[in-house]
Amino acid sequence: MNEKAGNMKVKLPVTIIMFVLGLFMIVPFLWMVSTSFQTPTEVFKNWLPSSLNWSNHIRVWTGSYDFVPYYLNSLKISIIGTVGAVFLSALAAYGFSRTSFKGRDGLFVVYLSMMMIPPQVLFVPKFIMFNWVGIYNTHWALILPAMFSIFGVFMLRQFFMSIPKEITESAFLDGAGHYKIFFRLVLPLAKPAIATFAILDFSWQWNDYENALVFLQSPKLYTIPLGLQNFILENNVDYNGMMAASSAAIIPMIIIFFVGQKYIIQGISSSAVKG
Amino acid sequence: MKRRSWMERQGWIGMTFILPNMIGILLFFVIPAIYSFVLMFTNYQFSNPNWQFTGLDNLKQLFHDDNFYASIKYTMIFLISVPVSMVLAFIVALFLNRSVYLKGLIRGMFFLPYISSGVAVAFVWMLLFQPSQGPINEMLRWIGIASPPGWFADTDTAMYAIDIVQIWLMLGYNMIIYLAALQEISTEQLEAARIDGASTFKITWKIVWPLVSPTTFLLMITGLIMTMKSFSIIQAITAGGPSGSTTVLSLFVYKTAFGYYEMGYASAISWFLFAVILVITVIQWVGQKRWVHY
Repeated sequence: MNEKAGNMKVKLPVTIIMFVLGLFMIVPFLWMVSTSFQTPTEVFKNWLPSSLNWSNHIRVWTGSYDFVPYYLNSLKISIIGTVGAVFLSALAAYGFSRTSFKGRDGLFVVYLSMMMIPPQVLFVPKFIMFNWVGIYNTHWALILPAMFSIFGVFMLRQFFMSIPKEITESAFLDGAGHYKIFFRLVLPLAKPAIATFAILDFSWQWNDYENALVFLQSPKLYTIPLGLQNFILENNVDYNGMMAASSAAIIPMIIIFFVGQKYIIQGISSSAVKG
Repeated sequence: MKRRSWMERQGWIGMTFILPNMIGILLFFVIPAIYSFVLMFTNYQFSNPNWQFTGLDNLKQLFHDDNFYASIKYTMIFLISVPVSMVLAFIVALFLNRSVYLKGLIRGMFFLPYISSGVAVAFVWMLLFQPSQGPINEMLRWIGIASPPGWFADTDTAMYAIDIVQIWLMLGYNMIIYLAALQEISTEQLEAARIDGASTFKITWKIVWPLVSPTTFLLMITGLIMTMKSFSIIQAITAGGPSGSTTVLSLFVYKTAFGYYEMGYASAISWFLFAVILVITVIQWVGQKRWVHY
């Protein structure tokens, strides 16, 4: 009993301190949402809006900066890119962990070394190549490269290797081929790892600003980060509009975070600790 | 032995699993990388069809370019954010690892910046740091600082303001990984030290910190590499300004390539960036064995 009381004596103040610090971390989000509901005269003066003023949000969604197409573009690119990356990475991860052929390990070293190449090295040649092939300034310039994720191959390979070899071997001895083993056995077993990778990959693509900046030019193709940038460049005194637009960009991520928190945290901590 | 044989017997099928992915890696990583390496030795400009091999001219120019040295300096300031956010994350993880109420909620609050990272939060910080009437300077004036810094608007402070945003962004990520590492430490060892009369501070410093040193090392390496590569936040907030004072190396590449279309030169800079990352990676390979005690 004493121990419990003593425990609470520490636990409660620690909780309060950490909660206050946590609030401090999310102040920018709170301020953003609050400002998005204010009128221009209130900005920078009040912490809370005097009344809920939806006009900024309406302006962002239906004005000359219609966020709807940006949303659809981002959704299209992130969904196709993620589905492709998950499928192709899982296939390759199976190849690297459950099949064996000459040159497999050498190939894996090539994958490893490609991870070290910074995206800055690849921007220029990709820009030139995409111009040649004619996919510069199309969504394919973002979708196609996004479908090939080296990180995904690594992460899923690591998970596939933790599946006991006996399981796949006995299925093989029962007459199942590699494709049957992959689709019927390994994929279902790997659901948590696939969910983790899918959520992380989706969020990276949703937030991707650098590739969109380099490979997209026409405003009608813009994704959310680019649309947001344009909105802000051209409205740099419209602070309420800026914050309404930022809220529109961030809120889906916050929802994804709360839905997939378990997977995100698991994925991040396991991938790093096992290194 | 038998295990290897069934995998080997169907080796060619194994290749069909990797092939689709391999084609993409070839098209979007390997070939562009080789292409970029060749471009480094040319005076290629996107608008100008007449280009030629210029040998080591780009590299010579690079080492005489004041902007290059300036970008290295700004990159170094940018990298300060890595250890700072790690230390803060370690402290937060220590407290969260002790029993607290609402652990999931508090962890989520610290982690939220990382997941929402991107252009949107950059704009929020732009307004928070607004010099004349932004909330941060309002607060500083309120506590009696008559002339608070200009933050992103001042060449002397812009890079440090970026650091603050970066620390805020990365804190949650580092914390999650420290938390996972702390959970692997056996409580018995800590109990034993406590019974011997060691203070909490001493236990933390002499036992916990060394035990998480592999994690610290890993976070340091990956953090340095990640920070060297990123420029989204900077591009969104300052686009490298004011007067170039936030043009870190990665942004310098982007600007040279797509601002001035000096693509040969940009390739040379990008390979310098690669060389730095390579050195850090080699340090990781060597260091993992030598400096980290498990």
